[in-house]
Amino acid sequence: MQQLAATTAELDFHSETYKDAYSRINAIVIEGEKEAHENYIRLAELLPEYKEELIRLSKMENRHKKGFEACGRNLQVTPDMQFAQEFFAQLHQNFQKAAESENVVTCLLIQSLIIECFAIAAYNIYIPVADDFARKITEGVVKDEYSHLNFGEVWLKEHFEESKAELEQANRQNLPIVWKMLNAVENDAHTLAMEKEALVEDFMIQYGEALSNIGFTTRDIMRMSAYGLTAA
Amino acid sequence: MFGLIGHLTSLEHAQAVAKELGYPEYADQGLDFWCSAPPQIVDTIKVTSITGQIIEGRYVESCFLPEMLASRRIKAATRKVLNAMAHAQKHGINITALGGFSSIIFENFNLYQNRQVRNVRLEFERFTTGNTHTAYIICRQVEQASRKLGIELSKATVAVCGATGDIGSAICRWLDARTDVAELLLIARNQERLQHLQSELGRGKILSLDEALPQADIIVWVASMPKGMEIDPTTLKQPCLLIDGGYPKNLVTKVQYPGISVLNGGIVEHSLDIDWRIMSIVNMDVPARQLFACFAESMLLEFEKLHTNFSWGRNQITVEKMEQIGQVSVKHGFRPLLV
Repeated sequence: MQQLAATTAELDFHSETYKDAYSRINAIVIEGEKEAHENYIRLAELLPEYKEELIRLSKMENRHKKGFEACGRNLQVTPDMQFAQEFFAQLHQNFQKAAESENVVTCLLIQSLIIECFAIAAYNIYIPVADDFARKITEGVVKDEYSHLNFGEVWLKEHFEESKAELEQANRQNLPIVWKMLNAVENDAHTLAMEKEALVEDFMIQYGEALSNIGFTTRDIMRMSAYGLTAA
Repeated sequence: MFGLIGHLTSLEHAQAVAKELGYPEYADQGLDFWCSAPPQIVDTIKVTSITGQIIEGRYVESCFLPEMLASRRIKAATRKVLNAMAHAQKHGINITALGGFSSIIFENFNLYQNRQVRNVRLEFERFTTGNTHTAYIICRQVEQASRKLGIELSKATVAVCGATGDIGSAICRWLDARTDVAELLLIARNQERLQHLQSELGRGKILSLDEALPQADIIVWVASMPKGMEIDPTTLKQPCLLIDGGYPKNLVTKVQYPGISVLNGGIVEHSLDIDWRIMSIVNMDVPARQLFACFAESMLLEFEKLHTNFSWGRNQITVEKMEQIGQVSVKHGFRPLLV
């Protein structure tokens, strides 16, 4: 967001260096939206009373995925999907496990809080340094994300007391994975003029807001949102 | 509701405070962590005016540290300020003072152009630098502390270090218009701005710091630097009143010499205890009553329901606005800190 406008002027979106880094970042975004699409379908099975809303969300994520595929094509970049699948593997696995054991709270923390906040933070940092085509697409996606109430936040707020312990546990289990994921793309993100410290800060702001909306106190938020950051 | 955006004075200080408040996740961290840390509302404040009116406020810790400027991590510094402002606005705070380095960063890095912070469009009318009240309080300190020390303003030479800044220029205007100060010495780095100020005032000598300080009966220090300032007290007049209105304030401990009285500038005392805990953390001598005048400005604007950016931009502080904020400052029970 606050990255200065001058940065974009220095970027050559068609250079091999940029496109190489973009092949991984773009793939991550596509994979992220794809997994979100699948995760909401899985959540709809676990929470049949909210099926309609969750399916609607899953469709939205699928539209976002298509938008980002177009961004890659626009720069004539082939997304490195294998890299992206490995990038998400641990979170993906944790979501699958939680879904199998019907731990809805953990599933919501992974998808609705961690992945959504990570995505919004990354999109916000990306927008000022994106090429024109990708900027328009990403702005549309972010607008979408802000326009709907976060399903997970609302559900977890309503079930706060009985979910609290599992949320803390799921946070401890999954947040350190996010920091590792960030480290894994630090250099590529830097090539795209996205700085790691800005990404971390934006993530912590989004994630902190989500935890606050659910019912956690400032003290809980400061503890939970920084969990495992320095160990990563 | 009013707000205060504040920050701690150094990394070491930040670590100690985090430890004291029981945030081990923040206490053990280096500068890199603070560069990524989000703003937080860490205190709820209740202020009672001597009129009986009660207002409520919030303290927003921006997680900015002066080391970010010293090590040229400018982007981190500017993010801290903008994110703290967005945080204040999101929490429905009507008028928020940008304390410490926040307003300096906002001004120097021209953050007016960064109005959109994620899904928040900053409404600048909800923020104030608090500089009008700070300048007013420093002028009252000059007037009242000099009297106490037996320095007659009509015979006194006053050196203003940082004269062309927002606060410094306002002080010069007031001293020129509202006092009979014998001589004004203007000190700043930028010659063009100095000449502009001199012609606006129609008086004042432009001097270097080394030339000016030995001539001054009163030194008003309003320059802000990440590492504070060194002054050699042996070169100063005796008696000499040194008002440290800069940021961070370090002259009280550094300049200890017979005949030299050092006063923390731009600090007010409230007549009644304020219900907060944050001021003990920012090292005030009387934490329940003393605070930065810039913070007090947001309280005054809240008391008066003047929800507007009363102090904004550079060098727009008039003597009339200083009088206006001064009147409500007295009305609600604030007074300048004295020797």
